[in-house]
Amino acid sequence: MDDVMSRDLISGLPRSIIESILTRLPIRDAVRTSILSSKWRYKWATLTQLVFDEKCVILSNDRCKVEDGLVNFITRTLFLHQGPIHKFQLTTTHLQCCPDIDQWLLFLSRNDIKELVLELGEGEWFRVPSCLFNCKKLTRLDLFRCEFDPPPTFKGFLCLKSLNLHQVLVSPEAIESLISGCPLLESLALSYFDSLALTIRAPNLKFLCLEGEFKDICLENTPLLVAMSVAMYMTDDIAEHFEQSSTCNFNRFLGGVPRLERLIGHIYFTKFLSIGDDLGRLPITYAHLKVVELNQVSFEDMKEILVVLRLITNSPNLRELQISGSSNTLAAIDAPDLDFWEDECPSNCTFKQLRVVRMTDMSGVPHEMEFIKFLLANSPALETMSISPCVYVMDGRLNMLIELLRFRRASAQAEILFIQD
Amino acid sequence: MSEVDMAVIKPEMMKSYIWLQTADGLIQQVEQEVAMFCPMICHEVIQKDMGSSKNYAISLPQRVNPAMLSLILDYCRFHQVPGRSNKERKSFDEKFIRMDTKRLCELTSAADSLQLKPLVDLTSRALARIIEGKSPEEIREIFHLPDDLTEEEKLEPLKNTTDDPRIRLLNRLYAKKRKELQERQKLKNIEVEEERVDDRSVDDLLSFINGDNGDSKGIKNSKSKKKNRRRKDQQKNTSANEAIKNHNKEPNGLNQVCHSAEVGQKVRAGVGATSNLHDVEDDIFDNKNEPDDGDIDDEIDPALKEKIDREVEDFARRLNSDWPERMQEILSFGHERKPVHFSLNGNGSLRRYANSEQR
Repeated sequence: MDDVMSRDLISGLPRSIIESILTRLPIRDAVRTSILSSKWRYKWATLTQLVFDEKCVILSNDRCKVEDGLVNFITRTLFLHQGPIHKFQLTTTHLQCCPDIDQWLLFLSRNDIKELVLELGEGEWFRVPSCLFNCKKLTRLDLFRCEFDPPPTFKGFLCLKSLNLHQVLVSPEAIESLISGCPLLESLALSYFDSLALTIRAPNLKFLCLEGEFKDICLENTPLLVAMSVAMYMTDDIAEHFEQSSTCNFNRFLGGVPRLERLIGHIYFTKFLSIGDDLGRLPITYAHLKVVELNQVSFEDMKEILVVLRLITNSPNLRELQISGSSNTLAAIDAPDLDFWEDECPSNCTFKQLRVVRMTDMSGVPHEMEFIKFLLANSPALETMSISPCVYVMDGRLNMLIELLRFRRASAQAEILFIQD
Repeated sequence: MSEVDMAVIKPEMMKSYIWLQTADGLIQQVEQEVAMFCPMICHEVIQKDMGSSKNYAISLPQRVNPAMLSLILDYCRFHQVPGRSNKERKSFDEKFIRMDTKRLCELTSAADSLQLKPLVDLTSRALARIIEGKSPEEIREIFHLPDDLTEEEKLEPLKNTTDDPRIRLLNRLYAKKRKELQERQKLKNIEVEEERVDDRSVDDLLSFINGDNGDSKGIKNSKSKKKNRRRKDQQKNTSANEAIKNHNKEPNGLNQVCHSAEVGQKVRAGVGATSNLHDVEDDIFDNKNEPDDGDIDDEIDPALKEKIDREVEDFARRLNSDWPERMQEILSFGHERKPVHFSLNGNGSLRRYANSEQR
C-alpha cells in the first residue's frame, strides 16, 4: 500500500487545486471520481459549484425516462453533497415545471447559495417558490422562463450584483422594486418582456441590457452606467403610445449617463430616442463614449438622423461608429429636408478620435450619402470607412460608388472599403 | 566591455538579481523582473527584504524542486513581458503544458506554493482535460491511483443505467468469497482463546437453541443445508463475534454469541447496505442457486483472486474500524441501495428482515 501511495500523483494536491480541477469537469465526470480510490470518494462532494446541463442526461427517446433520470441525478447529487453550495446552474430543455425544483431551491437556500442560474424548457413556466427570496447571500440570479412573484415583505437582495430575467412573468412594480431593492446591482439584463414601462434606479449599475417591447424606459438614477445594449420591439400599442407621448425620450434615457462608454441600439431604439421634443435640450457631453452602434436607423426620418447627430456630436472621444440603415428606398428617394445638411447641420464639429466607421445595409438614399459625406469631412483621424450595401439594392450600387468618390476626406489615411457580399 | 568600463557603470544599469534557494540547498540567481512575477517571491522581497544576496536567499517551499523552478521561471520569463498579445500568450501556454502527467502534477503543486495563480489555472485546466471523458480504470492508470475500493463501494451511486441483476448477484458472490478468504486470514492471527471452528459452531448452535434469539436460529437452520455453507456461516458468526469482541471486550463466549446475534439483528433491521445484510441476501440466493455456488468456487482465476485479496484486506480494515464511523458512512449511503427484488422461500423471519430494509 505504501508503495502505491507514494506513486500517487494527484491525490496529494491541495484541496483548492483538486476543487479547481473538478470544477472544470462536467458534473458527471466529477462525481464519477468518487470510485477512483478511497481518497477520492468524497473529494467531489465539497465542490461549491454545481453545473447541470444537457450533458448530464443519458439521451433516449423516452421523455419521461430522461426527465426522471435528470431529476434523480440532481436530487442525489444534492443529497450526497457536503458543505456550502455557492453556484447552482441548471440549463435544460427537459424540465419545465417540476416539484423537485422547489425542493432543490429550498435546499440551496439553506446552503449559502450565491449564484443561481435556472434555464428551463419551453412549456409550462416554472413558478419560483418563496424560498428563493430567502437566499440572502445571492449575488447573481439568472432566470429563464419562470414566474416570479416576490412576497410583499420582500425587500430585495442586498448582495445581488447581477440580475438576468429572460422571459419572466413578473409585474412591472415588482421589477422596479426589485431593482431598487438591490443596492449593489451592477449588471441588469431584461429580455422578452411585454409592454413594460420601467424606471430604473440603480446607483451602482454598470451594464444594462434590455430587449423586448418596452412602452417606456427611464433611467432615473444610473450615474455609473458604462455599457448598454437596447433592443426595442414595436407593437401597434406602443407606437400609439409614442405618438401621444410628449416627454423627451432622449433625455429620459441618455440624460443621466455621463460615464457611458459603449452604446448599442437595435431595431427601434433610435426611433424610441427620437420621440419627444428636444427644444429644451440639455447639453450633455458623453466624455467617455467610445463605441456607438446603432442598428436599423431609418434615414428617411429626420428625427432619427437628428438623434444620431446629437449623440455623436456630443461625444468628443468617439472612436468607433457603426450604423446600419433600414431605409425604404422608394420613400426615401425623394428626401425632404435635404438642405438640412447645407444649412443647419453643425459644421464646426470635428470627430477628433473617430477611427473606424462601418455603415451597413446602405441603400444609397440621399440622406445616407449626406451623412457619410458629413463624417468623411469631419474626421481627421479616420482610418477605415467601410460601406456594405443592402442586399436588395443592386442597381444603385454604382451610383453610390460614384458619389463616394467625390466626397472630401479630412483624413489622408482614410480607407474606404466597399464590401460586396 | 572592459573591466574599467564595468566599474563606472551605475548600479541601476546593471540587471538586478534575486537569489533563490530550493529545498535541496541549491542556490541560484534569477533576474528580478522574472522572479517578482511570482507573488510569493514578491512578498518575500518587499515585506521581508530577502533575496538580495546569496546569504539572504529566499527559501522556496519544499514543493518547488529545481526542475519545477526552472519551468516556472520559463513561464514567468515569457509572461512578464508586457507587450505580448493575448494570442501569443495563449499559444505559448498551449505548448508549455505539453508534458507528461507526473510533471504536470508536480508543476501544479509548485505553482500553487508560489501562489502563481495563472499557472495554477493553466495546469488545472490541463489536468481536467486529461480526466474528462475517461473511464475510472484509465484515470487510475494515468495517475497511479490505488484501486482500493470494494465492489460495493464502487457501485456508482449515481449510475443511471438499469441495474443488471446478474451484476448484483456477482457482486454478492464476490462479497461472500471475500469474507470467506478474510476469515481464513483472520484465523491465522487470532489468539488461541478460540477453539476449532467446527466445535465452536456446535456450541453456538446449542446456545442458540437455549438462548433467546429464535430468529437467528431460524436463519441458521435454513442455512445449514449444505456443508460448506454451514462452515461459512460459522465463520461469519465468528467474524461478527470478533468484530464485536474488539469493541465490547466481552470475554464470555455465550454473551458474545448473544451479543453478536443482537447486534447483527439491529444492523439488519436498521440499515440497508451492511455486509451482514449481504450475508442474508447471499444466503437467500444460495438457497435458490445451489448448484451454481460450487461452480463459482472453482472458476476464480488468479487475476480475480488477486483483486479479491485486495478487497479482503480492505474489508478486514473496514470491519475493524470504528463502529460509529461506519454506521455514519453506511447511513449516508444506505438510501441508494436499490431494494432487492426476490421472492422469499425462506421462513417468515427472513421476510421480516428483508422488508425492514426495504423502507
